[in-house]
Amino acid sequence: MAIADDEFRRLIEFYQRMVYSIALRVTGDPSTAEEVAQDVFLELHRSVDQLVGADHIRYWLRRVATHRSIDAIRRNSIRPEAAAEEWEDDQSVEDDAPISSIRLQARLDELLRALPEPMRVVVVLRYQEEMLPDEIARMLGKSIASVKSHLHHGLKLMRRKAAVTMKEYVRETA
Amino acid sequence: MSVKQPEELSEEFEQDKFERELTRAMRSVDPPHGFANLVMARAQAEVPVRARLLWMPRRVQQWTGGVIAAGLLVGVFFGEEAHLRHQREQAAQQQFETAMRITDRTLEHVQQQLSDAGVRFDH
Repeated sequence: MAIADDEFRRLIEFYQRMVYSIALRVTGDPSTAEEVAQDVFLELHRSVDQLVGADHIRYWLRRVATHRSIDAIRRNSIRPEAAAEEWEDDQSVEDDAPISSIRLQARLDELLRALPEPMRVVVVLRYQEEMLPDEIARMLGKSIASVKSHLHHGLKLMRRKAAVTMKEYVRETA
Repeated sequence: MSVKQPEELSEEFEQDKFERELTRAMRSVDPPHGFANLVMARAQAEVPVRARLLWMPRRVQQWTGGVIAAGLLVGVFFGEEAHLRHQREQAAQQQFETAMRITDRTLEHVQQQLSDAGVRFDH
């Protein structure tokens, strides 16, 4: 039996922020993210009969949103704006500079865009969706060690990039 | 078991702090205005006609079924009527052709008899 219109609208309204945010942070492009999020909900509309309960729907939406976002990155050949190694090797950066969440939020998209795709995906799922490494590993079909490694390197790169861009930001706005 | 140096402990703390800041910064964002309406419109455009009929309320389904059945009955009735009319037309045509053939043959026979009797038809 197919889902009724009002029930489907309720699901969209409840999960749209989650699905759109995953797509936005993984693809780094608002119009691509909107397209991906729409496609994810259309896929839900076709598959909703096979999903049982809110937890199953949330898990399914996260998984499909993540995979469709990765597909979109690969299809549109969206690349990180700078090679991660460029700022990984920059020893002049001070790692211990305090970074506030407001300043971090202002530069978040830029920081995420600079991460290579596998790192970006696990960082989004870990810190936006607050999923545990083993949950991420199960969802992506990867080993826990691989997820932890991507998280570790992703965070390290973001910290360095944040330290660089925050400095620039302070200089720009001063 | 190795004892951590103060720098290592500081780095761990800073890492935790950065993670906390990151979690705070990565709040979910709203999709563009009208997102739900767009998805609903696309979903409804995808639904096949048969599925739409199944989604109708029972009373509407019954009415729709009744209208379709009545339409079929009317169609069958008019179809049968047309078929009978066609059959009647064909029978009449055959009768007419048979009558014409008999008339032709009779006329030829009479003409032959008159000709044998010496009657000439000069036009």
